Amino acid sequence: MDLLTLLVQSGVNGLVIGTMYALMAIGFTLVFGIMRVVNFAHGEFYMIGSFVAFITYAQWHLPFAMTLLITIAVVGIAGALIEWLLIRPLRADELTGMIATLGISVVLQNSALMYFGASPRPMPDVVSGLVRFGPVVFSWSRIFVIVAAALVIGAFWLFMQKSRTGRAMRAVAQDREAALIQGIDVERIFPFAFGMSVALAAVAGALMAPVFSVSPFVGITPMLKAFIVVILGGLGSIPGAVLGGLLLGMIESFGATLFGALVADMLQLALVIAILLVRPTGLMGRKEA
Amino acid sequence: MKKTLLCLTVSALALGTAAGAETMTVGLVAPLSGGGAAWGTAMKGALELAVEDINNAGGLKVGDTTYDIRIAAYDSHYNPNDAVTAVNRLVFEDEATFIVGPLGSAPLAALVPTTTENKKITITGGFTPIAMAEEHPYSFRAVLPTQIYANPQISYVVTELGAQKVGSLFPNDETGQTMSNDIASAYQNAGADASAVDYYERGRVDFVPLLTRLLAQGIDTFELDGSPPQTAGLLVRQLRELGFTGNIVRTGGDATDDILAVAGAEASEGLYVHMEYDGSLPSAQAYQTRYIDAYGGTMNAFSPLFYTTINMIFEGMKAAGTIDDTDAIIAEMGKLSDFDGPAGKANWMGQEIWGTMRQQYIPYAIGKVSGGKPEVIATCDLEKCE
Repeated sequence: MDLLTLLVQSGVNGLVIGTMYALMAIGFTLVFGIMRVVNFAHGEFYMIGSFVAFITYAQWHLPFAMTLLITIAVVGIAGALIEWLLIRPLRADELTGMIATLGISVVLQNSALMYFGASPRPMPDVVSGLVRFGPVVFSWSRIFVIVAAALVIGAFWLFMQKSRTGRAMRAVAQDREAALIQGIDVERIFPFAFGMSVALAAVAGALMAPVFSVSPFVGITPMLKAFIVVILGGLGSIPGAVLGGLLLGMIESFGATLFGALVADMLQLALVIAILLVRPTGLMGRKEA
Repeated sequence: MKKTLLCLTVSALALGTAAGAETMTVGLVAPLSGGGAAWGTAMKGALELAVEDINNAGGLKVGDTTYDIRIAAYDSHYNPNDAVTAVNRLVFEDEATFIVGPLGSAPLAALVPTTTENKKITITGGFTPIAMAEEHPYSFRAVLPTQIYANPQISYVVTELGAQKVGSLFPNDETGQTMSNDIASAYQNAGADASAVDYYERGRVDFVPLLTRLLAQGIDTFELDGSPPQTAGLLVRQLRELGFTGNIVRTGGDATDDILAVAGAEASEGLYVHMEYDGSLPSAQAYQTRYIDAYGGTMNAFSPLFYTTINMIFEGMKAAGTIDDTDAIIAEMGKLSDFDGPAGKANWMGQEIWGTMRQQYIPYAIGKVSGGKPEVIATCDLEKCE
């Protein structure tokens, strides 16, 4: 395998993992931007998304597009209800809200453990086979993840830019009081934003389920990566989350391919620290007024 | 942000309770969740089935006392810290007479000083030489370590496949380091180069960058030993996704069912696998049927091995006439030979290697996956496979 082949292969590998990190991080940073809540249960919604996909696609044999729609609906509604019932009463104190999300995380993970058991479950590919460009080989299942994740991110961006609700969410993120004065119903925006945020995590889980299989613990690593990504991209910044996710995926892929796993892990965090030293608010974050 | 909970599953198997019978607790510490769960649940099943046999027969008669047996089981999460916490509970709170587990070299190295000091017999699956060291006389091992079968098995496989350059990935801990050394020297002895090695943190699921790195080094064979069953399945799947058409070998630690479940039959075709025992034995098939009837799904091959060692401890207790004098029990266990178990006749070995005789030995085999099933292609002893 020559160097060019290695670099192309690593680039595609990095894109797969990077788009997944971006999907996770967008939702994570959305909730922080609007509600100022760090959602520690974000990884568990990724896990639930993967289980919903497992049930609807692997067990009920529904088309995968239908699986994604069901995942978004189930997890989105569940997320909105959780916000309404458990986070809203604690909204006055950000710290209490964060601890509540930690509790939700433990409950969700252990519920999945009790119901589904600990063993990972394999899920069939949505698309199978390999595509070859000379010596470079990719699996269609991974290319499918990149395309599907890019479409979801694009749809989300359009929604935030063009729709009335999306603009209202951005207004709340920028200045909650000013948004209230403009007549935006913040009480409706919060559960909607939370539901949308966790639905994005669930979509990431559903897309990655055929690639990595499904278990109650699948959300832990993506959650940790989402943390790194949002800090790297800038807390509350959606473009920063996309950029940070892709950057982290690339660093991880190129680092592991060229230097090995252990060096790659060190390299990732060293680069994040270096970037934060130069830009303490992250790549696209802004200083709070 | 670790949110793991120590999972206590205390199951009181009170079948066949006789008036006046006393209760004896036996412990288990094994990975019941996460990557090593396939092995841990097999160990737990072995203990439960062995205890069920005893309790259904009216209890364990030791001297003039008959004991009903209860199990205290803890999830180690394949983690040394959790394993030590569990063993402390088993020794000081549950007062377990012996402990099934731990699995993995790192958990064993962490807890064996405690079990030695408190004279608790352990039946480990950890491959570290610490398990057989003279200073830990109560540590027994049910499963053959890589060190024992690596040379005969790899010599056979290298000759069959004509392997020249072998790549492998191991967990970055005591377990992985121990196996990596044993595997590399066995391939070297067989005339193959196994220098393409890397290590990963447990819990990792995306191996594509690491596999890309190994493939770039021109490997023609990939060795799966050292990785937990589900991880091994992901490795096979991701190797094939990268277009790797070379040989894949699993030298140790039964994982065939999980590899087939995760990677699929097509990706696993032609895989050379270690078989802990000759699965064609009627007793092995009967045990497997019983296990699957009891727990469903599939059975990991560790289960009948642990079941055999557990029964050897019970025999040792009966012969010694005590459940408390551990030295007398292990002395009686040492006298057992050709002990009948579901996987075949079990004996103790290890004197020449570790200076101790606490390694259970049952003849093993090599299988080749064909049409989604492993078929025995060679049976092995300590010297060779043929």
